Amino acid sequence: MIAQTVAVALLGAVAVWFGAAVFRTSSMVRSALSLLASMAAIGGMFLAMEAEFLGVLQLMMMATEMAIMAVFMVMYMMDPGGLGQMDMSHQKRLSLASGVLAGLAALAIAFLGGWGPVAATAPDAAAQTRALGIEMMTRSLLVFETAAVTILVAMIASVAVAIARRR
Amino acid sequence: MTTLLVALAIGAVLFAIGLYGALSQTNLVMIMMGVELMLGGAMVNLVAFWRFLHPERIEGQMFVLIVMTVMAIEAAVGFGLGTARFRAKGSVEMEEAAELKG
Amino acid sequence: MTAATIVAALLAGAYVVAVLEGWATTGRFQPGAPLVAGLALLGRESVVPRRPDRLLYETAPVLLLAAAVMAAAVLPLSPELVAVDLATGALFVNAAWAYVMVALVMAGWGPNGAYAMVAGWRFLGQLIAYAMLIVMPIATVGMRAESLATTAIVSSQVGLWNAATQPIGFVLFTLAAMAVAFIPPFDLPTAPGELAGGVAAEYTGVRLAIFRLARLVLVVTLAAAVAVFFLGGWLGPWLPAWAWTGVKTLAVAAAMFAAGRFVPRLRAEHLLQWTWKLGIPLALFNIAWVGVTLWWADR
Repeated sequence: MIAQTVAVALLGAVAVWFGAAVFRTSSMVRSALSLLASMAAIGGMFLAMEAEFLGVLQLMMMATEMAIMAVFMVMYMMDPGGLGQMDMSHQKRLSLASGVLAGLAALAIAFLGGWGPVAATAPDAAAQTRALGIEMMTRSLLVFETAAVTILVAMIASVAVAIARRR
Repeated sequence: MTTLLVALAIGAVLFAIGLYGALSQTNLVMIMMGVELMLGGAMVNLVAFWRFLHPERIEGQMFVLIVMTVMAIEAAVGFGLGTARFRAKGSVEMEEAAELKG
Repeated sequence: MTAATIVAALLAGAYVVAVLEGWATTGRFQPGAPLVAGLALLGRESVVPRRPDRLLYETAPVLLLAAAVMAAAVLPLSPELVAVDLATGALFVNAAWAYVMVALVMAGWGPNGAYAMVAGWRFLGQLIAYAMLIVMPIATVGMRAESLATTAIVSSQVGLWNAATQPIGFVLFTLAAMAVAFIPPFDLPTAPGELAGGVAAEYTGVRLAIFRLARLVLVVTLAAAVAVFFLGGWLGPWLPAWAWTGVKTLAVAAAMFAAGRFVPRLRAEHLLQWTWKLGIPLALFNIAWVGVTLWWADR
């Protein structure tokens, strides 16, 4: 139990550190890779919280997604290496205030809300994966199908929007 | 209990950083990164709630899967729009996109 | 103890694979060459290019090695010899291989060189081509085993190897595995003769030695994955279990190198065309095929 708390706290600190690093560097590739490190640490937190399937899935998906983010950054930006020290932020005070406010509100709810008794053990990883598969194919089938169709529509729509016009 | 609170606190901080980033950045891709970070914080909370409050209800994990799908959809749509904008105007700076108001 | 055995097996495998690769590319069998080349690399000066992104430049070879070793950790040498028997092992292998691409993108961006950067982004394109062909055959293998644990997957092949029951998945997975380890004809990110070594172009000395070692370990894990998922892993008569896994792994690695010797390098856009227009439909058909055969056998 102690080991779990320490692991979650440490990985969480890594996630927060790299999450903050995303907006502190001016190199685009670095900031995409910092986001990847943050997401990988979140995946590690899932593993520490015994959600093995989700943790591994998070590690796998985010590697690809963030690398693709990096390539788009390099495509779209004038200064992807961050060598010119351009400032690319605006309304700093407003964003800082809303970030702090939202964070404090969430923390207040987390610490003031009575969460009731805490479960000591979780089902083992094999049972979880099996239960998740059964859930996906029975009760949540419609939700899952909707998500799948939505992602298909998003793929087609974004390709249709982005493709060069032929004359 | 402590682990749950630690995880919730980390989720809250990640959400706050993500919100700050999404509001303060001028570039489309950086804004998307902020949104991803906010969704990451939400996922941490969801997994913590599943593990420490209802480990027997697998729907909690299902919810996280759906959030991951949302992240993928967000990336696909965002990059699609970004590419269209880049083709038309040569940049994805969002301050220049105010003309979309009409 | 188990972990130490696995590491020793990996190093031995990497050495043999290095000899095999030398044999396939130069046509000469030199059993001592990797040792000499490795010592020479360690003795050489490790030059850092001008104005690198130092953090990414230093991390990349280590991350590549870490990714390959992580993948090896869940692959069983025998029923007992597996470093971590994860319940989601087959998915974890995949997650570890995803970081191969991250490491190569880092190695491409870090040194601030044109060839390396072209090669790094090229490998990202290559990932778009091979990623689905890695995941979908693993899914069908898991379907037959009714588990994602690698040991359970091997045990499910007692009657008949997966290579026999799902030949399409076997072929697609082997080709995709070659693309992960950038073995010719899929060596776009290193592309000797075109990009002057590509992602490895700016690395010298100790860093290059780590990079090469990581690449060899990666080839071993990929060949081992083909052996475990499709060729029955440790199953076989007479020899002890670990020896069968070893023999199959090295045979797969040798076959990969031999195939690469006779085929010209695929261009990036051709690779994407072939994988998306032919490979992915075939992989989807494979999923349907395996589903129907399993249902038929279970009926």
